[in-house]
Amino acid sequence: MESFAFSHQLLQFMVTGLTVGAIYAMVAIGFNIIYNVTEVLNLAQGEFVMLGGLVMVFIHVSLGLPLVIAFAATVLVVTVVGVLLDRLAIRPVRQPTVMALIIATVAASMIIKGGAMLIWGKNPYDLPAFSGREPIVVGGLVLQSQYLWVIGFLVIIAIALALFFNRTILGKAMRACADNGDAARLVGINVRQMVLLAFGVSAAIGAVAGITLTPIALMDYDRGAMLAIKGFAAAILGGLGSFPGAILGGVILGLIESFGAGFLMSGYKDAYALIVLLLVLFVRPSGILGSMAVARFKRF
Amino acid sequence: MSTEGSTILKIEQLNAGYGAIAAIKGISLQVPKGKVVSIIGANGAGKSTLLKAISGLNADVSGRIVFKDQDILRLPADRIVGLGLSHVAEGRQIFASMTVADNIELGAYLFHRRRKRQVIADGKETVYGMFPILAKRATQIAGTLSGGEQQMLAIARALMARPALLLLDEPSMGLAPLIVRDIFRTIKQLNSTGTTILLVEQNARAALQIADYAYVLETGCIVLQGPARQLLDDPKIKAAYLGVG
Ligand SMILES: Nc1ncnc2c1ncn2[C@@H]1O[C@H](COP(=O)(O)OP(=O)(O)OP(=O)(O)O)[C@@H](O)[C@H]1O
Ligand SMILES: [Mg+2]
Repeated sequence: MESFAFSHQLLQFMVTGLTVGAIYAMVAIGFNIIYNVTEVLNLAQGEFVMLGGLVMVFIHVSLGLPLVIAFAATVLVVTVVGVLLDRLAIRPVRQPTVMALIIATVAASMIIKGGAMLIWGKNPYDLPAFSGREPIVVGGLVLQSQYLWVIGFLVIIAIALALFFNRTILGKAMRACADNGDAARLVGINVRQMVLLAFGVSAAIGAVAGITLTPIALMDYDRGAMLAIKGFAAAILGGLGSFPGAILGGVILGLIESFGAGFLMSGYKDAYALIVLLLVLFVRPSGILGSMAVARFKRF
Repeated sequence: MSTEGSTILKIEQLNAGYGAIAAIKGISLQVPKGKVVSIIGANGAGKSTLLKAISGLNADVSGRIVFKDQDILRLPADRIVGLGLSHVAEGRQIFASMTVADNIELGAYLFHRRRKRQVIADGKETVYGMFPILAKRATQIAGTLSGGEQQMLAIARALMARPALLLLDEPSMGLAPLIVRDIFRTIKQLNSTGTTILLVEQNARAALQIADYAYVLETGCIVLQGPARQLLDDPKIKAAYLGVG
């Protein structure tokens, strides 16, 4: 009986870990899309998630628009923010070294966060779960249906991106910029357009993460930085630039947090990501799926 | 279209460099339509810098570069290729992490954006016909091709844009003599089907043998020019570049 309760608890932690991990994976994917094209770490990536949640609250709860329409409108709004980030913070930088651009994203993240605080204040907001809060019971396991939505959206994003990068000429052009910037220009690819596209797509994915996360964990103006750190840790763990790596890294990090909080000390939950980040950087800086060979192919 | 009729590329008083470094110092040259023009010169003479200035990769330029009656000096590289000028850069510069087929596909990027499906299909047929080995390797990651195959891929990718003028930067670099012969035969064949060629080479003999006209570049300046046959017999060229005399 006791062992049943224990294994039951394990499963419960696992589901929670997978769900949180899926969010981290989405943030990590956002990092990778921009990193692959520009080698810039967009430290405002977490703000897209925060905005996704709060804009959705505004459109869905305050304005009362139906879920699907509010979802699409929110993604659109946050995508526009991503595009503006590129236009207003990245492109005007006179000496666009990678470091200067990263600092520009930090500045932008502070501005976005400040703006969110002015609009929404400091209180956390809730969002109705997509299919109600009635828990689903599967073989004695109690699941919030929203967990499944989060994981489901990660799967959809992964499939959509795989198709985009492998089947469409625009996706291939983005990979070409990451592979060899000069050669990309020589075949007629407008690299700046690709950078803009990267910011737009990253913002859209961040928005989806925020929209799906908020019914589980609420959302407030101040959540972006921590989400960015977790997503960054996931990206590094999986291998910066690798999409399968981002998913793997996110899920592993989510599970570590979930089990760590359950069995060790829940108060240190947020520290686990940083510990993982440091360990990876010490032991294997290329991450799990990042290979040195790929790193060598990349020149921008 | 052109009043000068036969000149496809005309460069006047071109300067190009990298900040404080002047690599090209007031060069003037012309490429007649339908011909093969070679530029030979030693390491560091400025050959690659010249080609990068023409194709728009080097923005640190002044002077005049007229391609098909249009001044392209300040145009970005991704616009210039659309005018019919393709550059096969030094060291092949393929998309190493992508497949051969994707490299070829991306060569026709501008036609994809303009939805010219037929042009793309024709282009593929042409380049795969010209380089059957690439068809066999279509799904292979380009970075794993041999040096010769990579050079063929680089040329094939450039041809997918249907250039009127093709800039080639040391296509023979690092290749075995037999492969070099193949590559030069291909260049000759391309020229005979109407593509104008501007060829940069350290392999002076091979370059002069297929060229109609040639320029000799030394530390950013043109020191000698003339019909290629004539330069092949020039005692100074023989001594300095052909290793005889
Ligand atoms: N990115 C760069 N930054 C600074 N200087 C450069 C750069 N690229 C080339 N140079 C300098 O410009 C000069 C001309 O170089 P370039 O590459 O055009 O020569 P090249 O004739 O193509 O030589 P090679 O036969 O070795 O390819 C050299 O002195 C070189 O050191
Ligand atoms: Mg060179």
